[in-house]
Amino acid sequence: MEQVKVAIDASKLVHTLLDIGEEMLLSGAEVFRVEDTVSHIGNAYGAQRVNIFVITSSIILTLTDAEGRDWTHTKRIEKPAGTDFARLEKLNELSRECCAEGLTLDELERRLQGIRTVHPGWRKYLRVYFGSALVGFALTIFFGGTLLDGLMGAAGGFFVCFLQSHLERFFPNRIIFNLVSGFAVGAVICLAARILPALNEDKSMIGDIMLQIPGIATTISFRDMISGETISGALRLIESLLWATALACGYMLAIWLVG
Amino acid sequence: MTDMIIQLLAAFFGTLGFALIFQVRRKLLFWTALGGMLSWAVYLVLDYILHTIFLPYMCAAVAAAVYAQIMARIQKVPATIYLILALIPSIPGGALYYTMSNLVMKNWPQAVSDGKRTLQYALAIAIGISIVWAVTQIVERVRKSLHRKPIG
Repeated sequence: MEQVKVAIDASKLVHTLLDIGEEMLLSGAEVFRVEDTVSHIGNAYGAQRVNIFVITSSIILTLTDAEGRDWTHTKRIEKPAGTDFARLEKLNELSRECCAEGLTLDELERRLQGIRTVHPGWRKYLRVYFGSALVGFALTIFFGGTLLDGLMGAAGGFFVCFLQSHLERFFPNRIIFNLVSGFAVGAVICLAARILPALNEDKSMIGDIMLQIPGIATTISFRDMISGETISGALRLIESLLWATALACGYMLAIWLVG
Repeated sequence: MTDMIIQLLAAFFGTLGFALIFQVRRKLLFWTALGGMLSWAVYLVLDYILHTIFLPYMCAAVAAAVYAQIMARIQKVPATIYLILALIPSIPGGALYYTMSNLVMKNWPQAVSDGKRTLQYALAIAIGISIVWAVTQIVERVRKSLHRKPIG
């Protein structure tokens, strides 16, 4: 009887650990942090050994339980990693609590579910829309735009945010999405520049490109590679180069056709 | 001088915008935005003195990474939050744009030189972060081994 219970718990633990790992990756954690955190939690629940290998598209975990049996599971991660630092902080806190105070496994699972299923309420959308418009405005000015260019950049940022938060799920992947959204935003700004000759369309476009360019993914990829996660780093780098190229093609098409 | 101040303010608000998009807690918003501004201030000062591409960008990245380490220790949050946001003003979006617009206009020599510039920026940032990462790792390991000795 006792053995059966342990077996079920170990399997449950592995699943929970994989969920935590996935959730961290999708919130914008680096690969080494995911590996580190998951190993720590595994050890806190009495695993003898935790072997974990994370790349941006999958997690492989082998856990040796107290009786010396191995449990191996793989998780395929299909969504591209986003960035949600509030969620990352909550996950970080949860793992700290786990290791320091020892939550029961059910409690851990419940807390994790709580973090995963937070609905993106209107407050979140408000922040994202306002943030995008602010980025469009401020970075257009940053790259030397006038006030008018800045306002166009803000409008473009608003549009980018609409595309990213409501329409991206209809696209098969981010390469296609970036191509289309780059074209759409570029075309809108080029059209506006035809109506308003005083507009420097290049400045406004740069401001909005900053919103769409995978600059963060590229930065993280270098960090991954330097900290020894060569495969994940290379994977992320190639991915972000593809995204950037698609984005550039979208804008080029807009300049060529409309500009 | 006014140009510089406008650029610094724009860097601050641009970083703040990204902090909002990335759902940073309200308490941390100001400090993350300040990181972006500080890192860009380092770039502006060095660019003014040196007039080169590589070194100012690298030092801006170093400043961002050092700031991230310090703030992460003080506020007990993952350093990534501060690092990624402080690097926002250094992302070479402008250079990338001019590279491709020159490609469309068939200004080949200009496109090549802009492309090289974009790569140099990216490389300088990567090297800057790596330096800080390596140094903090070494310091931490040395400290750990020093702490272990009197106990064991």
